[in-house]
Amino acid sequence: MHPVATPVLSRASWVACLWVALLAAPPVQAQSALNSGDALVEKREMKAWLVRIQEAANKRSYQGTVIVSSGATVASSRISHYCEGRNQFERIDALDGQPRHVVRQNEQVHTVWPEHRVAMVEQRDQMSSFPGLLQAGGEHVTDFYDLKFTGQERVAGREANVLMLRAKDGHRYGYRLWADKSTGLLLRTEVLADSGTVLESSAFSEVAVGTHPPLESLLQPIRRLEGYRISHPALVPVRLEDEGWRLTSGVPGFRQVSCIKRPADSPLRPSRSAEQPRLQAVYSDGLTYVSVFIEPFRAERHTRPMQAAIGATQTLMRRKGEWWITVMGDVPAPTLRRFAASLEHTP
Amino acid sequence: MSKTEDPAGSIRAEELSALVDGELASAEVGRACNQWRDDSAARAAWHTYHLIGDVLRSGDLSSTPGHDREFLASLRQRLAQEPVVLAPARHSGMGASAFGRVWHGMGKRFGGPLRTSAAVAAGFVVVAGALLATQLSPTSEAPAAPVVALYSVPAAGALAAVDRQVVEDAPTLVLDGQLIRDARLDEYLAAHKKFGGSSAPGGPSGFLRNATVESR
Repeated sequence: MHPVATPVLSRASWVACLWVALLAAPPVQAQSALNSGDALVEKREMKAWLVRIQEAANKRSYQGTVIVSSGATVASSRISHYCEGRNQFERIDALDGQPRHVVRQNEQVHTVWPEHRVAMVEQRDQMSSFPGLLQAGGEHVTDFYDLKFTGQERVAGREANVLMLRAKDGHRYGYRLWADKSTGLLLRTEVLADSGTVLESSAFSEVAVGTHPPLESLLQPIRRLEGYRISHPALVPVRLEDEGWRLTSGVPGFRQVSCIKRPADSPLRPSRSAEQPRLQAVYSDGLTYVSVFIEPFRAERHTRPMQAAIGATQTLMRRKGEWWITVMGDVPAPTLRRFAASLEHTP
Repeated sequence: MSKTEDPAGSIRAEELSALVDGELASAEVGRACNQWRDDSAARAAWHTYHLIGDVLRSGDLSSTPGHDREFLASLRQRLAQEPVVLAPARHSGMGASAFGRVWHGMGKRFGGPLRTSAAVAAGFVVVAGALLATQLSPTSEAPAAPVVALYSVPAAGALAAVDRQVVEDAPTLVLDGQLIRDARLDEYLAAHKKFGGSSAPGGPSGFLRNATVESR
């Protein structure tokens, strides 16, 4: 639970009651097997829903504007996704803050900052073996979440099925999902705290499914990179144990899906001194994931331990002997503390 | 579209066309705008491209403007013939909805000259409905919760203690969300979010949410 959220709890639950009343009022005709009451049927059905949602995001062509809001901040971006056979192309333009384009061609990801004339090229498969939804947590997603069909609503001009993905324990957040009725594409999502408070919400304000811009216009930001400083950060896959670390107990449901060493500097802030690479281990429960960063402690950089929340993303930073630990993830703060506490150095 | 380019580089039709379509790279937008300002031929081309675009989008726009003029003229004429209402008509009570009657009754009870038609009452109901919807909307709830907060852990000296006794939830320092625009935190965030890959709850595509969130 977020400590500062308590004052709004009563209001949140009042709103939740109204929601329930509202949803109960019209008879929900499209009852699905999700609410059948049979655990086995529900599990199978839940996986089918999640697979459909994931496939829609990957295999459909769509373009639209997405707004992400968390707390008082709102940010939006324009997305075009184009799938042609086995090839996927995606372009995302940040519409707020400094201009930035992300262009993905299958596993190759370009991030372009036109104002700084800087570009970064990364291989996604090299970056992680993160297999995404379901393959990682595969079978056991259903052990830690349950999914309920709660009705139908209209989002971004399209009919959507509303699904409630509830966490079975306090180690993770719940989600409310609006999946397009005809394609399964997620039109809106909300990350929910235990109390029902919405921590973060992202939604298409408008979307066109089945259409895409010409490929050339999609790839335009990476066609004109003359004079840009282009960085190719080297990400080296490693084993956590070989680096002298292990997670003694961990958190139920979370399994390591990747462990890499990445350069500590960023393309926009290249460091003058040679900084030690940073170790990043990623744990996933099949739906959400937690990153554990480990780097040598440096007094001038790591001035104070802290705990921060940006929307649904929690961060915990603290010193551990000669090391500086950063744990980050879309999970409640106590989960991060558990990660940090069970991390052990084995020189 | 024809490409006319002279040595002075005054008209680059292709660039202008790209600007109309919103596909011109930001670095070139400035130059194209300057062209538009300085060169009447560029302005004419700009107008033509928009006209072409408009007509392509909606065939109605290709109709002769005479049609609109006629419509406007007849509208003006009929407006001029409308009688001027000097005082609102007395409320008849006929056809008033239940809401109207209640509203009307309230006016009487409070003794004031509150005479409201059913239409106003209906309007009131609509506004009330909108308010209710706003209250119900879960997103409107979000800003109420200070989701962005930063608190520092008690004292740097008590690090060992902090490690053992789990950091307590009680924030010793709550800062405004804007203050954590710390470049370093952003780097961790970027590195973490890259793993969003195609995780569904993060949005239609993990990358989408990352790209959106990182640029805040």
